[in-house]
Amino acid sequence: MATMSRTRHRRGLVWRNTVAGWAFILPNFVGFAALTLVPVVVLFYLAFTNWNVFGVAEWTGTANFRRMWSDASFWTALRNTTYYTVFHIPLTMAASLGLALLLNRKLRGVAFFRTVAFFPYITSIVAIAVVWNQLFSPEYGPLNAFLRGVGVDDPPGWTTSADWSMPAVIIVGTWRYMGYYMLLFLAGLQTIPTQLYEAAEIDGASAWQRFVNVTIPGLRHTTFFVTVMLTIESFKVFDLILVMTQGGPGQSTLVLSQYIYQKGFVENQFGYASAVSIVLFAICFGVTVIQFLVNRRGER
Amino acid sequence: MKRAIPAVISAATALTLVLAGCGGEDEPADPNAPVTITLAGWSLSTTPEFKTLADGFHAAHPNVTVELKEYDATNYDTQMTADLAAGTAPDVYVLKNLKNFYTYQSGGQLLDVSDAGGDAGAAYKVDGKSYAVAYRQDSWVLFYNKDLFGKAKVAPPDGGWTWDDYATAAKALTTGLKAGGSKATGTYQHVFQSTVQGFALAQTPGADLLSGDFGYLKPYYQRSLDLQAAGAQPTFGTATTNKLTYQAQFGKQQSAMLLMGTWYIATLLKQRASGDADTFEWGMAPAPQFDKSTTGASATPVTFGDPTGLGINPKASKAKQAAAKEFLTYVAAEDAGKALAGIGITPAKISDAVTQSLFGLDGVPQDDLSKLAYAKHDTKAENPISKHTAGLQNLLNDTHTAILSDSKGLDEAITEAQNRAKNEVLNQ
Repeated sequence: MATMSRTRHRRGLVWRNTVAGWAFILPNFVGFAALTLVPVVVLFYLAFTNWNVFGVAEWTGTANFRRMWSDASFWTALRNTTYYTVFHIPLTMAASLGLALLLNRKLRGVAFFRTVAFFPYITSIVAIAVVWNQLFSPEYGPLNAFLRGVGVDDPPGWTTSADWSMPAVIIVGTWRYMGYYMLLFLAGLQTIPTQLYEAAEIDGASAWQRFVNVTIPGLRHTTFFVTVMLTIESFKVFDLILVMTQGGPGQSTLVLSQYIYQKGFVENQFGYASAVSIVLFAICFGVTVIQFLVNRRGER
Repeated sequence: MKRAIPAVISAATALTLVLAGCGGEDEPADPNAPVTITLAGWSLSTTPEFKTLADGFHAAHPNVTVELKEYDATNYDTQMTADLAAGTAPDVYVLKNLKNFYTYQSGGQLLDVSDAGGDAGAAYKVDGKSYAVAYRQDSWVLFYNKDLFGKAKVAPPDGGWTWDDYATAAKALTTGLKAGGSKATGTYQHVFQSTVQGFALAQTPGADLLSGDFGYLKPYYQRSLDLQAAGAQPTFGTATTNKLTYQAQFGKQQSAMLLMGTWYIATLLKQRASGDADTFEWGMAPAPQFDKSTTGASATPVTFGDPTGLGINPKASKAKQAAAKEFLTYVAAEDAGKALAGIGITPAKISDAVTQSLFGLDGVPQDDLSKLAYAKHDTKAENPISKHTAGLQNLLNDTHTAILSDSKGLDEAITEAQNRAKNEVLNQ
């Protein structure tokens, strides 16, 4: 008898806990479901249809994916996205780690410099684009004035040249995000015990050896996290491109997210845009899984 | 608790169904019963045309109230599409351009309004039926600064200009102004693709956007490139990186000529009054022409411009549809035209009374050429109505930026555009 009432009591407790748990996540979950989960699920369906917003989506099977295969603009966008990613990730990593190392010392006014480095990240992207575009201005911009001053006769056209627009965007992207990742690296650096550095120093390790053998291994987890975040952020780059170059000149900075936006919201081909989104999702997902696998192997 | 949830859900469902049922019912068809129709507009505080039309119509039809519903100007089509799809759009909405008309019409979001507004629906015809009525029809003209022409000692436009005359004048102006110590350029062609492509499509005999043959663009681009190279107008790169605005470029006398749509008249007048533009003598001339055959006093110059129209949401009730059609007839007629001209806007139908009304505004030039440029032209639509239009315009915008930034050679860029049109748009 006593056991039965105890089981019932426990069941009641479990039930109450479940309800309380749901009650806690419900407000957030409702928002997430309505604004993210449901649209994403619908997107997977739309990718196999032809839909221009009005009326019913018409099922077309894999037609959208076959069209993508022979769509030169899609491949251009994919190539440009890869271009951005391949340069943006290592540059941002190097810049943010460098800044973190520099600002991890006991320096007068270190808080000020850390804030300065973080500033670009909290500045409005539109403001950044406008100001950088002026700096990059081929004829009157200060950057080219400087280059001419140091003897470069034919400075690049930056955002107005098909060859230089992507490097220009990568520079601004790196400048914008390095402060944020610097913060993550700083947090990582502070978790490395100083005893390790002292021991290494006593063993006669040079600064470079200390960096390679203590700092780098100590930052393993941070580096992994930063790489994953940077990869996803690079593949889905959109706002910076849209406000700086709108994909131009020509298609020189057209990236996948912008291509999706163009096909979907400008040309009302939501089925096709959804299909491209799925490809972008698959790329991000695939690369992240590979990173996790590599990381796990390294941990063994 | 457990039992309460289904009860709440069913009650909510029932309530929704009842409410939805109410919305669909039609009001009794008494023509004099008070009706309120809703009209979409954007930036209401700075765009007075919607209120002008609503108030004017209410004065003539006291039983109908037109209520304005504000949208964001830049995201207008996106927001309107979302509202239409959700069934919450206003009874009457604006078609900002012809590029998106196809989406609305083919999506069943426009009522057949062939019986309203007469020939003002001509631009919106599909299979012989009109799906909207034009209330304003801007067209591109040449704005010029008479003071700067005088300073550079260059003869002002005489209504007989071809593009070559225009280019020669732009270069002469730049040289003349430089000699006079001014940094102003001869002309300013804004970064819009219309500035080059709109004229090329409208004026070149046989040019057809939907053919996928874009050879007609070449001479127009060649001229723009020459003007850039000669310094007679700011380069595309300077204009984009420094975010030059055509309003400041002409209003602040940085350029002596400006190709722009007639909507700029109202802006220029407002900016003169507020001090955002300098006060100087200005005028309008017909846009430069493809060849001499459309220039001179007896000819009608060819230019382009999309009409701005109003369409009716088919989801509006019968009584509202009837009132909305009356509203459409009103906006296309002369009274509304005069009211619009009175605030500097170019109505769909230009009559002598309309021209008088616009030229009666303070700050508008009084010369005959300006009046001719405003009132007499053959205005072709900027975009044909087709499901391919949006896609073609998008890829031609890439071509535009590639050519003007000197990133690609003219021939190469046009060939690439033709290939893309064939393989990515016209085959869909």
